[in-house]
Amino acid sequence: MGIIFKKLNRFLLILILMGTGIIAERVGLIEYVIDPNEYPFIIIFFWQHLILVVYSMAIATIIGLAVGIILTRKRFKKIAGVVMYIISLGQTIPSLAVLALAMSFLGIGTKPAIFALIIYSILPIARNTLAGIIAVPPYLVNAAKGMGMPAWRILLEIELPNATSVILTGFRVAMIINIGTAALAFLIGAGGLGDLIFSGISLMRTEQLLAGAIPVTFMALVADFLCEILGLLIVSKGLRLASEH
Amino acid sequence: MSTLKFIMEHNQRVLHLSLEHIGIVGLSLIIATIIGVPLGIMITKYKNLAKPVLNTANVLMTIPSIALFGIMLPVLAMVNLGLGKVPAIIALVLYSQLPIIRNTYTAIKNVPPAVVDAGKGMGMNRWQLLKEIEIPISIPLILAGLRTAAVMNIGIAAIASYIGAGGLGVLIQQGINRVYPEMILSGAILVSLLAIIVDGGMGLFEYLVTPKGIKIQRKLVQWESSLKN
Amino acid sequence: MIKYDSVTKIFGVGKEAVTALDNINFTIKKGEIVVFLGPSGCGKTTTMRLTNKLDTITRGSISINGESIAEINEVKLRQRMGYVIQEIGLFPNKTIAQNIAVVPRLLGWPRHKINNRVDELLHMTNLEPGLYRNRYPAELSGGQQQRVGVARGLAADPEIMLMDEPFGAIDPINREQIQDEFLRVQSKIKKTIAFVSHDIHEAIKMGDKIALFDNGKLIQYDVPEVILTRPKNKFVADFVGADRALKVLGLMRVSEVTNFKPQNIIAGTDNAQTAHKFLEENDFRYGIVVDNNKPLGYVTLKNLKYENGLVIDVVENYPHFEEKSSSLRDVLSYMLMHTLMTFCVVDDNGDFIGTVSYNDIQRAVKKSYSDEAEKDWKEV
Repeated sequence: MGIIFKKLNRFLLILILMGTGIIAERVGLIEYVIDPNEYPFIIIFFWQHLILVVYSMAIATIIGLAVGIILTRKRFKKIAGVVMYIISLGQTIPSLAVLALAMSFLGIGTKPAIFALIIYSILPIARNTLAGIIAVPPYLVNAAKGMGMPAWRILLEIELPNATSVILTGFRVAMIINIGTAALAFLIGAGGLGDLIFSGISLMRTEQLLAGAIPVTFMALVADFLCEILGLLIVSKGLRLASEH
Repeated sequence: MSTLKFIMEHNQRVLHLSLEHIGIVGLSLIIATIIGVPLGIMITKYKNLAKPVLNTANVLMTIPSIALFGIMLPVLAMVNLGLGKVPAIIALVLYSQLPIIRNTYTAIKNVPPAVVDAGKGMGMNRWQLLKEIEIPISIPLILAGLRTAAVMNIGIAAIASYIGAGGLGVLIQQGINRVYPEMILSGAILVSLLAIIVDGGMGLFEYLVTPKGIKIQRKLVQWESSLKN
Repeated sequence: MIKYDSVTKIFGVGKEAVTALDNINFTIKKGEIVVFLGPSGCGKTTTMRLTNKLDTITRGSISINGESIAEINEVKLRQRMGYVIQEIGLFPNKTIAQNIAVVPRLLGWPRHKINNRVDELLHMTNLEPGLYRNRYPAELSGGQQQRVGVARGLAADPEIMLMDEPFGAIDPINREQIQDEFLRVQSKIKKTIAFVSHDIHEAIKMGDKIALFDNGKLIQYDVPEVILTRPKNKFVADFVGADRALKVLGLMRVSEVTNFKPQNIIAGTDNAQTAHKFLEENDFRYGIVVDNNKPLGYVTLKNLKYENGLVIDVVENYPHFEEKSSSLRDVLSYMLMHTLMTFCVVDDNGDFIGTVSYNDIQRAVKKSYSDEAEKDWKEV
């Protein structure tokens, strides 16, 4: 059954591509995208979106890693449980609510949007950094310590490399959520591809909304793919072999 | 304070929107469970289906929610269902598939083979194995998947107000349009509260339905690992 | 040399304080393996963890070659000691070579020196460097991983090795083999080794001395023979087990009891009837057949009686033992299985040098106990 499914895959792909092409033509998407009055805007929105994501992710990654690492140090281990609880509570708050709250307190524009995106993206990164480092078997740290490795080297050579794939999962989750939430940032005046989607919905202009929705989806899928590639590059081969066993 | 006042003054509407929100999420969760749990169990039996099914669910999860609404809109518009509750529920069902299928699959796969063998040795057939052993042991993890899906859906349902599905997102949407901070805040706070309450409630439920034997075993494992450090 | 001087360790404070070690005094001499032995929670692992400052000492002092470890920076101290643990703890993100190179790298050795050292150690632990250098721990079996663990401990050629149940996680057959390999290596490199174990067999096999702990106290510290033949109290006697006479046999080599001048020797090329006559005249029940200085087996009167050819045609095979490596325990075991009272002893080349008999063994065991009795008497 599975084999048949696999063999059908290629036909499905062609059918989907053809279907998409026909629909794109029918709803006027292609016409919209090549319209000289429209496509410069698409590009601007795309860049706005990308900048929101890149800036907020860069800052969130630094903060998230730092928080995760600090919480696993001996001195702060006691509060790690509490912080973990707060983080998971924070993650239950819907993205739209986070944006709305940021707007209520900081007003409209790009800055409140980036602020909300940072806060929201820190959570999965910090959580997975914390969880990843805690999951490193204690005997590895014991062995490193017993061999005379200074604490900073244990962190860099043992703890972080062995936690990389868990941290990367957190980064990936944060990235996907971030791209999706950035599409809502238009609502608080930060632009981005959400502009095309929301305007398209309210005006019932299919071609416009697709011109926003398709690039956003594409961006998320590419980011997901890049994270996977990144994993192959930075996770030690030894660890990948170990997880296969 | 003024937010609280807003909620008090509009309690009828707030209540209506809350119930609408819960309704959308609840209905989609029920449909998602009916599809997802059997699918999760099925792919533990037909192993070569596991990867494509999980991958598909994973890709669906990657698509930003507002983009999915957007992409579905022209398709569903052909049958006149582009806006409203129907596309919202369809999207929520799709998003719920990953946590539900993945958790069901992992849970059933992680039932210790020795336990399954013991059941087989006692002469249980496939169906009895599933009913008597695999599902009861898997329940906590399956519920954890439902919990993740529920919390996520509450957030996505808030966005669905923009395609006319109603719910608490309406407060945020209209608040932004009218530049009415109290309205925005009450929407944001209520939807967050709803998510937190559902998360806590389902966590409690998960704990209550976990078979006592498994709870004791878990405590022992924790106790042992605490001794080691 | 490691000297433990009134070492006391108390965990926790106030009402929750637990005394893990109570006034421990002993010295590990240079080049010796001392096995810290005892049931779990007896303080053996704590003693080791105090030695490289993984735990801090409450009272007393530990010194290395006369220098108190309190004066040495903990990271520097640990780099001076090899450390091998039960969980092996190879870093899964590093290759085998990188794992072994950790301490040399911390010490800032030049790269070519590290590379040479890694290859040398892999050779020493019977792992072909070309094959294993760039592999990852996940690609090795448990036994191979533990060999790398030992190599990693030896990497910077430390004077002292701390080994915390290093072979505990390996299956019994592989464990024997790795223990033998390690003893062979140790006979060359002569490290000062603190070795934690809960297994009396391992302690007898590996230890030059055994430090037996119970409940945070050092109960007895002596060579294995003395621990076995003269346990200090009931705890030690129970711990070493009721079969301690057999364990003593495990420690004794065949060479200690070999009879170098047996009388009943027959050449393989002798005529059977001549041999028969020889045995009858001397009242031997059987003869040991040696040919070209190699032991062939034995012949009985019955074998020879109606035989007209050479002795070599009727000889019955039986096992022989190497003087240096075979333990009396093995010899006795074969005697019980073969219902024979005498076996041949050979040297490293397989040349016949004498025999070992049941009576020789029994005499030796009795002697080792009476030695102790005499000593007792003298001490009084």
